[in-house]
Amino acid sequence: MKMTTYAQSLHDLSVLKEAGLDEVILAHESLSRFGKLSTPEILKLVARAKELHLQVYLEWDILMTQNVFESALPVVLELLPSIDGIRVQDPGALHWVIENLDTKIHFIAENGNHNITALETWISLSKGKLERIVLSLELSKSTIEDYVKRLSVPCELLGFGRILLFYTPRALLSPLAPEKIAQNSELVALGESEESPHKGFPIVENRHGTFMFHIKEFCLIEFAQELKEFGLKYLRVDLRWTDFSYLLRLSQLIQVFNSEEFDHFKQEYPQDLMRGFYLVNKTDVLFPKLKNGRLQKREGNYLGEVMEAEKGSHLAIMVKNSRGIKKSDKLSILHPEGKTFEVSIHSLKNSALEEVEEIPQNKLAVIQFVGGVWVKSQVFLS
Amino acid sequence: MKATSFPEILAPAGSLDKLKVAVLYGANAVYVGGQKFGLRTAAENFTLDELREGVAFAHARGAQVYVVLNSFLHDKDLVELPSFVEFLSEIKVDAVIVSDLGVVKTVRDLSIIPIHISTQASTLNVESAKLWKKMGATRIVLGREVSIKEAGKIKREAEIEIEMFIHGSMCMAYSGHCVISNFTQGRDSNRGGCAHSCRFEYSLDMGLSTMEKKKVFFMSSKDLEGIRLLPEFINEGIDSLKIEGRMKSNLYAGTMSKVYSEALNFYKEHGHFYSDSLLEWEAELNKVSHRAYTEAALVEKAGADSIFNERENVESEWQLVGTVVEASLKSGIIIEVRNAFNQGDKLEIVPFKGSAREVVAHEIMDLSMRPVQRTKPTTLVRLPYIEGIEAFNLVRQQVVSK
Repeated sequence: MKMTTYAQSLHDLSVLKEAGLDEVILAHESLSRFGKLSTPEILKLVARAKELHLQVYLEWDILMTQNVFESALPVVLELLPSIDGIRVQDPGALHWVIENLDTKIHFIAENGNHNITALETWISLSKGKLERIVLSLELSKSTIEDYVKRLSVPCELLGFGRILLFYTPRALLSPLAPEKIAQNSELVALGESEESPHKGFPIVENRHGTFMFHIKEFCLIEFAQELKEFGLKYLRVDLRWTDFSYLLRLSQLIQVFNSEEFDHFKQEYPQDLMRGFYLVNKTDVLFPKLKNGRLQKREGNYLGEVMEAEKGSHLAIMVKNSRGIKKSDKLSILHPEGKTFEVSIHSLKNSALEEVEEIPQNKLAVIQFVGGVWVKSQVFLS
Repeated sequence: MKATSFPEILAPAGSLDKLKVAVLYGANAVYVGGQKFGLRTAAENFTLDELREGVAFAHARGAQVYVVLNSFLHDKDLVELPSFVEFLSEIKVDAVIVSDLGVVKTVRDLSIIPIHISTQASTLNVESAKLWKKMGATRIVLGREVSIKEAGKIKREAEIEIEMFIHGSMCMAYSGHCVISNFTQGRDSNRGGCAHSCRFEYSLDMGLSTMEKKKVFFMSSKDLEGIRLLPEFINEGIDSLKIEGRMKSNLYAGTMSKVYSEALNFYKEHGHFYSDSLLEWEAELNKVSHRAYTEAALVEKAGADSIFNERENVESEWQLVGTVVEASLKSGIIIEVRNAFNQGDKLEIVPFKGSAREVVAHEIMDLSMRPVQRTKPTTLVRLPYIEGIEAFNLVRQQVVSK
C-alpha cells in the first residue's frame, strides 16, 4: 500500500520524498477546491518533483457550472504536458478527460457511490483510462474490503485529513466581514450551533465557494495494516491544514504501527481525530423513528382513514379503496398509537346522513362512534 | 420569435391527496416517492396501492407521474430495488428520478422506464449531461447553481431534455454534496435523513478583533422564485419547470400548480405574460408560507442577497383553513378543518380554475347538522353549497395579526 499526499511548496516535496512517497498531488488555485498554487508555481513544483522521481497528479476536483467549466479548460490544457495524470470529481470533467485526453485518470468517487454497481459502472465508462478510484470515507471496513477485492482498478482512501461536510459555490463568510475581503483571498472561521452538540466547525471561503469541515479529523492510521491486507493500494494523507512535517511520523506509523507512538501522536496533534464510519455505518437506523409507521400502513385490505371522531356520535371515514365500504363489512381500525379495534358496522350513513348500504371511493362514510378511536386512525377490512 | 414548445409544470406530491390537488390545480406532471429509495424519509409518501391509484388518477387527467429513486443507495438498499422497478413498470409510471449510477444501471437493465437524473447528482455542465445521456438518461434535472442561459447551452449541446427548479426551498450546498447530518446526527442526508443543519443559527468566530462572535444563519438560503423569468425558461427551450416541496402542504401544492400553470397558459395564449395577472400570481405565491424569495443563480451567480439569515419562523399572511372533502347540494360543502375559524369569518375557496371565491362563514354546521360558532382542527364542518366548488378545493383565510 502506497501513500499519496498534497504538496504546496518545494519544502513539502522534500519532506514527501524523505517520507518515502513516490507520488504527489498538486492543487491548482483555479481547478482544486483548496488549491493555492498558480500555474508558474505548479510548473516549478513539477520540475522539482521530476528531479525527485515523483509521479505528479493534478487535482481538478471543483464542481463546475458550464461557464466555470469552460474557463477551467485552458488551465488544464496548459498543465497537461507536465503531469502524469489527472484527478477529477465532477462527472463532466471525467467525461471530458475520457473523450479528449490520453492521460491517466483518478476518479474521485468520494461523494455517494456506496454500491458496487455504481463503482463498476464508473469504471466501465472510462474506456480503460481509469488508473485509480477514490472511495467514499463513509464506507465501513467490510465494504471497503469487498470493493477493493472486486473492483478492477486500484482503490484509494483518505487515511488522514479533514472531513469535508459541506460545499457551496456561494460566498457565505465575506458578506459578514467585508473588511476582510481586501486582506485575504481566503476567509476562515470557526462555527458552532446550539442546535448541534459539536463545537468549532472549521469554515473556509475561497474563490470556489464556502466549505465546512468536521470538528475532528479523519484518521485510519491504526487500521493501515488491515487496509493493506484488504488489498488497498493507496492511502491519502492530507495535511494542508496543519503542519506538513507530521507526514514523516504518519508515514512511519503506516509502515509499522506502534500504538504507543500513535498515542503520543494523537496527544500532540492539534486536532481531535475520529474514525468516522470505518467500524460500522448505521446512518439509516434512525429513519423508522422519523415518522409514525402505523400511519404508513395503508397496504392490503386498506379501506380509508378516520377524518372525524365525535364522541358518542360517530366516526367519519374517508373511503380510499376502489371497492368502497359496505354495511356488512367488518372493520379493523388501527389507532396511531398501535391499538387495534375490531368493529362491526351498525349504522352506515353518507355525508348527507342518509342510511345507505354502501359508499363508494372518495366519499365520506359515517358509522357509529367507537370508543378509543382517534382521527388519523387507519381503517382496514377485517 | 414566438415559442413553439413550452415547458411542463412539475409539482411535488408528498401524498396521494397532494397528487390529486396538484393535478386538479393544473400541474402537467407530479413527482412522488414510494416508501423507500427517496430523499424524504419523513414524508407520508405512497404505498404501492396509492402509487397505482395516483398514476391512474394523473393519467386520466393527462398528467404524468415521476417516481423519485434519488437516494445514494448502499449495496443492501440496492437489493430491494429490482422488485420496485418491476412494479413501477407494471403501473406505467412516466419516469424515475435517479442520482446514483448504480440505480441508473439497475433501472436501465430491468426496464424501459425513462430515467431523469436528479438534481441530487449536481449535473452542472454539458459534459456531465453527455455522460448521463450515454448511461441512458432521457432528462437532466440540473443543479440549482446553473443559470437559465447555461441550461439552454447544455440542452442544445448535449441534446437532452432539461428540467430546472423554478420555485421552492433550496439546499445551500451543491445537492448531494452535504454530509453534515451524516457525521453530526448519524442520519444519512443522501438517503433521506437530512436534519437541515444549514438552517441552524451558528456563532461564528472570524478572528475579528472588533467583534464578538457573530450569531448568524449564514448557511440558510432564501427560497427560489422564478416566475418573472418564465419567458427566459421558454426561450432557452427548458422542458420542465420543477416546484420543490414534497414535504409541504396541500395549500402549497395547489397554489403553486395553479399559479405556474395559469402563468404558462397565459404565455401560450398571448406570447408574453406581463399583465395585471402577474401581480396577482405573485400575490398568490405570497399567500403560502415561504422564506424571502430570490432568483438565486437563475440569471447570475447567487450573491449575498440570496442568503436568508433569519430564524425559521416563517409565517404567511394566509393560512390553510382546510380542504373540501365533499361538495353537493345535499351535503353542502364539507371541509376537513386544519386551522380553526369562526362564524362570520371571511374565507377564500380556491377553485381549480379562475379566481378565489370569497365566502363569509355565516352558517357553519358540524357533520351532525348542529350549528357551530368556532370550528376545531381535525373536525369536519359544513358550509352551504356553492356551485363550482369541488372536492380537493383549498379553503384559506387571511391571518389577523394580534
